[in-house]
Amino acid sequence: MTTHTAPAERLHHPPELEAEPFGDSALMLRVKNDDGDFRRAAGRRLRDVLLEVRPYGVLDIVAGVESLLVEFDCLAVTHEQLAQTIRLAVAGSGLEPGAPSASQALFVIPMVVGEEFSPDLQDVAEELGLSPEAMLQQFQSSVLTINLLAAAMAPMMGGVQFPGQVSRCVEPRTNVEPGSVMVAGTNAIIQPFPGPSGWKVIGRTPLTICDIREDPATSYKPGDLVRFDVVPESEWSRLEGQFLRATPEGVASDGTGWNGAEGGNSDLP
Amino acid sequence: MTFPEHAISIKVSEAGWLSTFQDLGRENSEFMGVPCGGAADQYSAAVANILVGNSRKAACLEIMGGRFAFTATHDVMCAATGVPAEVTVNGDPVGMWEPLCLPAGARVVIAKASGGMRNYLAFSGELETARFMGSAAPESRMGFPQQLAPGQTLTLHSRYRGFTHPFLTQPLFRLPVPVPNFSPDVWTIDVVDGPETDRTPGIRKLLSSSHYTVGAKSNHVGLRLDGPVVHPEGLGEIVSHGVPIGAFEIPHGDELIILGRSRTLTAGYPIVAVAAKASLSMLGQASPGRKMTFRWISNEQAVEQYREQQRGLVNLEEHVHALFAAVGLPVAASFAAASSPSPAAA
Repeated sequence: MTTHTAPAERLHHPPELEAEPFGDSALMLRVKNDDGDFRRAAGRRLRDVLLEVRPYGVLDIVAGVESLLVEFDCLAVTHEQLAQTIRLAVAGSGLEPGAPSASQALFVIPMVVGEEFSPDLQDVAEELGLSPEAMLQQFQSSVLTINLLAAAMAPMMGGVQFPGQVSRCVEPRTNVEPGSVMVAGTNAIIQPFPGPSGWKVIGRTPLTICDIREDPATSYKPGDLVRFDVVPESEWSRLEGQFLRATPEGVASDGTGWNGAEGGNSDLP
Repeated sequence: MTFPEHAISIKVSEAGWLSTFQDLGRENSEFMGVPCGGAADQYSAAVANILVGNSRKAACLEIMGGRFAFTATHDVMCAATGVPAEVTVNGDPVGMWEPLCLPAGARVVIAKASGGMRNYLAFSGELETARFMGSAAPESRMGFPQQLAPGQTLTLHSRYRGFTHPFLTQPLFRLPVPVPNFSPDVWTIDVVDGPETDRTPGIRKLLSSSHYTVGAKSNHVGLRLDGPVVHPEGLGEIVSHGVPIGAFEIPHGDELIILGRSRTLTAGYPIVAVAAKASLSMLGQASPGRKMTFRWISNEQAVEQYREQQRGLVNLEEHVHALFAAVGLPVAASFAAASSPSPAAA
């Protein structure tokens, strides 16, 4: 099904949207386009449009790498009605990657490398045909975009400037330490809580990136930018456990951008 | 007559194998990467709250196995729902799925649950508890276990001041409660097509004609079932995408997984069926060893079943509201406005 040509010229040409039922109360949305970057950017935009428009019956949204699962109240709308509302919303707003929104924050995240913190550093460098130093240099010079919050609010980021794709671990680890900075493909993710992962671990941040005693539990949100900054291991104890906050505007990106302001309006025990 | 709220202490002397604060789960959290969580048996949790005049979404307790015992400092009204269990007040057996009016100091024991995993216990009023993203539901991975310990004292803010029937010592409420049937040896769970059903030849016949057994590694993240599976054909790598509650996944091994409310939100496994929404509460009660089979229904039938289930809850709410108003029992302020079905419930 396609949305037909808009009668008025001011309307955008919306990209084709595939809407597939996923059970009686969910609809899987995919933007159809040959360009993967376009699909991912349009997917982010689509999520923003849906969160803004809140089509009737929508309960929640789960972002995938190149898709959105829309969960809805099946007594309020049908799959077809919801798909139509979403197509109308998209026709009105368009999905063209717009100018970066004013609320897009930058996070400069300190990261420590070393034998204990970077078990896959050597592997990843070899796979990319680089020295570990050169690989880290490329990693640090990449400005990453948070595409989505994955399990337990883990920031999943795209845009790592590697010359190739990084493969996953043959045997996923059953437990990866919180703060671990991991890569796969040209994506990066930070492990917020202990748990399993098959991504390659190249470093660890001493900062706490997610803390449910904070409100909200993370300072970052989808669409924000991230840059990693390798710091000496001696910095670990000074930074350990500080809650990650956005780098204030105008602060030089020399590694002093984060602050460890105490905070939290906990109503937790 | 209405009384002001007062604080009541509820001392939990025995906490069962695993008991937690619980509610219907988080709203608007999944787009942030946090699963909705909440009562695995949404129906029983909602009914427990409705039976004591609370909003369906109020915090209650979820009890999984063992013996749970408590004593309250004042008169309280409570209701226990979920799988069949032995409930006693000062040693005398009392019913489940009905409001219980307890005198101050009465010792209540819930034990010997059979046929499934979970019991829900709601109290008239508001239980004091921490919340994460607006919900009392546990999210243990993120450091929010919400577990009750033996000896713990809970605080309840309640407007209930005791109630006795003029002629009988224990009030008899006749309320239209549809109680789920947990007794069959083999549960039949309704399913609708999943995105990969058509690409998995034989899966329809297999799921509807085989018995599956819930494995020991099952939890609120997902049920792992032993039984025959077939793998989809001609599927390339599936890019990680969001997965709905009740999705039937077939990972690389010969295992069937049915995802629960605390699922990891994205996965790259084929989905060969999705449990109908009205069947999710039953799935939430399945314990290791439980045998089940599946019945394919159309999307229209699935929606109609859920509508029927919700209609039952609304009907119960209306009866409770009318009854409590007539006899002067407290109802939650939000309850009066809750006659339209809440999308998040059950």
